[in-house]
Amino acid sequence: MPDTILVVAEQREGKLNRVSWETVTAGQALASQTGWTLEAAVVGSGISGIASEVASRKAAKVYAVESPKLEPYTPDAFAFALKQFIESKQPKLVLMPHTYQVRDFVPKLATAMGRTVISDCVGYKKEGDKLVFTRQMFQGKLAADVSFGCEPPWFVTFQNGAFRGDKVETGAAAARVETVNVEIGDGVIRNRPQEVFKEAKQAVDLTQAEIIVSVGRGIKEQKNIELARQLAEALGGEIAASRPICDSGWLPMDRQIGSSGQTVAPKLYLALGISGAIQHIVGMKGARTIIAVNKDSEAPIFEIADYAVVGNLFDIVPPLIEEVRKAKATG
Amino acid sequence: MLVFRKPLEGIERPQMPADVIIVGGGAAGMACALRLSQLIDAYNANNPDSQLSKENIYVLEKAREIGQHCLSGALLDPRSIRELIPDFEKEAPIEATVSKEAVYFLTVKSKLKFPVTPPPLRDHGNYVISLNRFVKWLGEKVEAAGITVFTGFAGSELLYGGAANGNRVMGVRTDDKGVDKHNEKKSNFEPGYDLKAKVIILAEGSRGSLTKQLILRFKLDADRNPQTYGQGVKELWEVPAGRIAPGEVIYTMGWPLTSREYGGAWIYGGKDNIVSLGFVTALEYADPRIDPQHVLQEFKKHPFVSALLKGGKMVRYGAKSMPYGGWWSLPSLGGDGWMIVGDSAGFLNSARLKGIHLAIKSGMLAAETAFEALKSGDSSAATLGQFQRNVESSWIKDELWKVRNFHQAFTHGLWPGLLHAGLQQFTGGRGIRNRYPSAPGYTHMKKLAELPADGGAEAPLLGPAKGDARLTFDKLTDLYHSGTKHEEDQPAHLVIQNTDVCNSRCIKEFGSPCQNFCPANVYEMVDDTTEPNGKRISLNPSNCVHCKACDIADPYQIITWVPPEGGGGPNYDGM
Repeated sequence: MPDTILVVAEQREGKLNRVSWETVTAGQALASQTGWTLEAAVVGSGISGIASEVASRKAAKVYAVESPKLEPYTPDAFAFALKQFIESKQPKLVLMPHTYQVRDFVPKLATAMGRTVISDCVGYKKEGDKLVFTRQMFQGKLAADVSFGCEPPWFVTFQNGAFRGDKVETGAAAARVETVNVEIGDGVIRNRPQEVFKEAKQAVDLTQAEIIVSVGRGIKEQKNIELARQLAEALGGEIAASRPICDSGWLPMDRQIGSSGQTVAPKLYLALGISGAIQHIVGMKGARTIIAVNKDSEAPIFEIADYAVVGNLFDIVPPLIEEVRKAKATG
Repeated sequence: MLVFRKPLEGIERPQMPADVIIVGGGAAGMACALRLSQLIDAYNANNPDSQLSKENIYVLEKAREIGQHCLSGALLDPRSIRELIPDFEKEAPIEATVSKEAVYFLTVKSKLKFPVTPPPLRDHGNYVISLNRFVKWLGEKVEAAGITVFTGFAGSELLYGGAANGNRVMGVRTDDKGVDKHNEKKSNFEPGYDLKAKVIILAEGSRGSLTKQLILRFKLDADRNPQTYGQGVKELWEVPAGRIAPGEVIYTMGWPLTSREYGGAWIYGGKDNIVSLGFVTALEYADPRIDPQHVLQEFKKHPFVSALLKGGKMVRYGAKSMPYGGWWSLPSLGGDGWMIVGDSAGFLNSARLKGIHLAIKSGMLAAETAFEALKSGDSSAATLGQFQRNVESSWIKDELWKVRNFHQAFTHGLWPGLLHAGLQQFTGGRGIRNRYPSAPGYTHMKKLAELPADGGAEAPLLGPAKGDARLTFDKLTDLYHSGTKHEEDQPAHLVIQNTDVCNSRCIKEFGSPCQNFCPANVYEMVDDTTEPNGKRISLNPSNCVHCKACDIADPYQIITWVPPEGGGGPNYDGM
């Protein structure tokens, strides 16, 4: 049996991950240099369509590794199915894209087979009979050449963008698709996937806010933030803060205004107990109207404020909230 | 709750072998790398059959770009750079050639010019440079020579092992990246590398953090004078044309310091109407309320200085400590697997206020020793100890020997100091004895109870400067002009051994001097009713300009400065 290269293309929820084409390109280049046979596999449940899509490119054969237990994705099921499949086909080299999913199951798969992975490679070289893979070190400043010291199958993952997916070769005819059913027994899958969720993006985009009520150290205590929040609500604006407040964890980082936070230019910026260090000013000086409340009449914030209120914010804000509410109620 | 940075435990770190690692890409480190490259090139040209490789020689630099953490006055004595690159003037970034020099003694309203410039401060033949630009240029040459500079990587720990009962320096661990405020891995976590090298050269600059570990571990400063330091605070100004000639050099002594504090100012004229000015205050003052950034602000109010700056604009700010101790304060310089060069060792001539030329020379000498180690394959103390002897037979010793007692002479104030320094001039540096003693600067700090409540003569220098936003600036405004930036979500890299000392003792005894000696508002006592004194220490690590003053001046010696995540820090463009 000739040596083979197996590319494991990635699918998620019935869709092919386009980065797989890059890995196929890498596989095709390796196959032509080594003279080994290129095959591909797709793992999942009900994936013959995806397997056919892969088969439209130049490869000797495409396997659809099927089991109902492969959907939804679990690292246990994928590692189990691929181990069984790879042990039966004995490819010399297994290539995968370095995706989150692959990162999740490939260490387990390789360890289960007593092999090793050269991960996140950006290229390869053929030095005589030896295949050498290139990995980046020191944030890309240095490249390390790594080769396998163990018996095949050898596992390699390629970094996103290392090869060009649009350069993938199309074969004279579509490759044959062979379905391989794997039995995944009870007790193999110990993971129970929960609902898929997206990590919440930045919850608030302060740059879009027309009114911002911003608090600084003068607010004294975390519980007093509520006061500013009420004012922001009454005005229909957003709450923000200077660095010390976010640094203390009283408000999330994404509400920090200034050189190490966001830069905003609302119609109205109400600065409560903010002294106005330049680090804060650079983040809000573009506001159309700035109202500053501060006990210290010499606070630098007053130099850029359109309206300066010298006084204790705890005396000023509560009646202000009342007045705003009243004004809004009477429309 | 403060959480401090430390290398994570129980994780697997990538290992990498190396021949030579230079920690710190400043003047000393870059000169060392370049000299090593020259020696290897020459050797390889003569020995076609046994080539030495440069591939495994690395420079670690914590700044994001080469030179971004380099700050100095700066005047360059060209002696060593000329040895390294004979025709350096053709290509090095030089701001001006020194054209005129003067030394003044300032009083509150007037200035007295020294009739003759004291010999150590004669600067003809020297150059005004921006150390930032100069090191950038040197770094380009190092990279062009085929030596890799890892920017954005700090040395966070030394690795020991091997021979000498596991006491050989075997390598350097770089900083862990992607660690959050609570010392937990973030999604972009990348462990530090363990770089195993035959030779480690510490070129971290003043009060290097690895150097400190090494000196403590092996007591490398036993029977030496303790190192003493000055704190330099600098501003770069753009002034109206005609105020100062390019290459004009002015030094001042006296006001605003009293005769009890040691220090002085420099003013250098650069090109394009750029003026470099700064004030060095020795970190050995008695009054814990003194603030070196405030001292610079007061200095600018002198009519002589304010006239120079009037109508100008402050464009950059920075601060850095510098080792003053001189010859008697140098630690052991080489041992099993390691050497120490530049400011990390203390190669600075405090009488001339110059160290760059000594940093370069020490780097070159260390390179020569490292080269011998690469050839022989032996990098034990037997080989690397030779660096010490090479320094002792070089002109570094000639120069430092003559001023070996200079700084110590000022221990008891300006007037006795000038007397002793004058005497030393005529006795080849001896003065009244061969070795004047010294004490660590922080031991001079007095408790508030022993000091006048109103501050006495030092009153104008105490506490935070207010600033008028034109001539003088408060600290945060100055800090803004340092361009300092750090990843905010990381543990504090100012490691305080015991914050109870800050909250219970220091606040009462010394009035929390960390707020004063830090030039970047990193340290802050914030209100906290649960603390016995109503205040609690709070840190703003992302303000840190990496000057190390806290590590040096803290009266309890409980602050250890360690490098934050690589890439963070000031941006000293043009400084």
